[in-house]
Amino acid sequence: MTDAGIVVESLRKTYRRGAGGEVRALDGVSLTIAPGEIFGVIGPNGAGKTTFFGCLLGFLWPDAGSVTIDGRAPDDLAVRRVTGYLPERLVMDRWMCGLDFLEYHHALAGLPAATRHDDARAALERVGLEPAAGERPIRKYSRGMLQRLGFAQALLGHPRYLFLDEPASGVDPAGVVLFRRILADLKGGGVTVLLNSHQLEQVERVCDRVAFVSRGKVEAIETLAAGAAHARVLRVRWAAAAAAPVRATLEDAAVRAGAVLNSADGAQASFAVADDAGAARLLQSLIGAGVPVAEATPEESRLERLFLATPAGGAP
Amino acid sequence: MNTTLILATLRQRLTSPIRLGLLALLFFMPIGAATLMYQNGLATLGDSYGLTLVLAAGLIGQDLSSGVLQLLFARPVRRSEYLINRWLAVSFGVTALSLVQAVVAVGLLGMRGHPTSAQEFMIFAGNSALIAFGTAAVVALFSSLLPGFGDLALLLVFQLVGGVLQMVGQFAARPLVSRIGTEMTGFITPRFDLTPFFAGVDPSWAAIAAYASTVTLSLALAIVVLNRRELSYASAG
Repeated sequence: MTDAGIVVESLRKTYRRGAGGEVRALDGVSLTIAPGEIFGVIGPNGAGKTTFFGCLLGFLWPDAGSVTIDGRAPDDLAVRRVTGYLPERLVMDRWMCGLDFLEYHHALAGLPAATRHDDARAALERVGLEPAAGERPIRKYSRGMLQRLGFAQALLGHPRYLFLDEPASGVDPAGVVLFRRILADLKGGGVTVLLNSHQLEQVERVCDRVAFVSRGKVEAIETLAAGAAHARVLRVRWAAAAAAPVRATLEDAAVRAGAVLNSADGAQASFAVADDAGAARLLQSLIGAGVPVAEATPEESRLERLFLATPAGGAP
Repeated sequence: MNTTLILATLRQRLTSPIRLGLLALLFFMPIGAATLMYQNGLATLGDSYGLTLVLAAGLIGQDLSSGVLQLLFARPVRRSEYLINRWLAVSFGVTALSLVQAVVAVGLLGMRGHPTSAQEFMIFAGNSALIAFGTAAVVALFSSLLPGFGDLALLLVFQLVGGVLQMVGQFAARPLVSRIGTEMTGFITPRFDLTPFFAGVDPSWAAIAAYASTVTLSLALAIVVLNRRELSYASAG
C-alpha cells in the first residue's frame, strides 16, 4: 500500500427522514490528512462529525464525493488491516471478559495467534488497566474502564491509521493524561490519527491541525502547531491602588518570559503564553519587574477563541 | 471458515440464560418422551427445528441493534464472511446438540430393550443436520432484515399467512392461493427426508433442489441485505 494518507473530496451525505424530509449531514467536505498527522475534527452537536467518521470508515455510503486511505477505498480489507477505531458510543460484547475481548479483536485483525495473549495483556497495561481487570466480565466495567478497553482494542496490531471518536469521554483526569501521552507516542511512531472531540483543550494539545465543521461543511482548517508558542491567554490584574505599570514594562516582562502582551487596559492586561510553565514564567517576570500582581486568570484557549469566532462555534 | 467468528457466535448464543433454559428444555424433554415411548424409536425425538430457532433467533439482528457490528466491521472481516460463519456456527451447534441428544436417547432406548439400528441413527442425524442448516439460513435472512428478534416475528407472520392462505385456497377451491400458502410455510421450514437414500429408493430431486435453492437464496439475499446496510448511529432516527 502507498503511504498517501487520507484524501476526502467533495463528500456529500444526506439522510432521508420521514414524510420526504431530508437532512444534509455532509455538504461537500474536502480535506487531506498527511501520513503521521494528528488531525482534529471539532464542531457543535449535529455538525456532521460522526457522519464524516462513518464515511471515512466505510460504514456509510456517501451520496457523492470520495474517500481514499492510502489510495484505497475505506472498506478495503487492506485498509482495515492498518486501521484502529474507537467509536463514540462504545458497544462491546458484554458477555466477554476484557482479555477475551482483546484476544477476539486480535484474532479478527488477523494478527499472529502466537502473540495473542501477550499482546492483549500489553494493550491492557498500555491503557492503564490492571491485569485483574482483564479477567473481569465487561458488564462489570465502569464507563471509564470501558473507554480504556476500547482504546486498547483500537491500538491492537500497531495500526497506521487511528480513528478516535471522543476517546476521553468518561475517562478520569489520569486517564486523559495517559491518553494524551499515548497519542504523543503514536505521533512519534508516524501513526495518522483522526480525533473527534469536544474537549478543545485536549485537541489543542495533541493535534497538528483541526477542522471546524458546521452544518456539514468544513468552515476552516487551522494549523495548531504554528501557533502553539502562544496558545493560551492569561489575564493579569494588579492592585488598583498601585501605580499602573507602563506598557513598556509589561512588554519587557512578557518578552523575558517568552510571552506576548495582547492588550493592557486600566488595572489589567492580557498576555498570550504557550502553556502552564509559560504562565508561571510570565507571573515571575511581572512580579520581578515590580508589577503588584493581584490576580491571574486563564482565559479561553486559542482553539476556544477560534471555535467561538467561527460559525461552527456559534459566531454570527 | 473463520473459527474466531464461529466460536464467538456459539459463546454469545450460549451466554443467554433464557436461551440456555429453552435449549435444555428442547434437549431433555424429547429424550424423556423417547424413553417413555420407546416403541417409536428415535422418531419421538422429533426434529431439530425448535433447537435451531432457539439458537439462531436474532442471529444478525441482535448484533445490528446492539451496535457491536461497527467495531467488528472495522476489522478486516467481510460482511459475507461474518454472516456465513454465524450461520455455520448455529448449524454446527444444533447438529452437534442433536447428535448428542440422539446418542443419549439411543443409550436409554437400549437400556429399555429397544436397540436402535445404525440406519435409523444415520437418518435421524442427517435429517437433523439438514433442518439445522436450512432453518438457520432462513433465520439469517430474516434476521438481516429486522433488528433484535424481529426474525422470529417474521417467521410467525410467514407461518400464519401461509396457513391462512392454504385454508382459504382449500375452502374457495383456489389451488393457486393454496399453493402460495404451502410455498410460504415450506420456505420457512426447508427440509427433505433422507429415508429414501437408505431405503434404496430414488430420492425426490425436486425436494433436494427446493431445499438447496431455499438455503442458497436465503444466504445470498441475507448477504446482499447486510452489504447494503449502513452502520452508524448517525444514520439512525
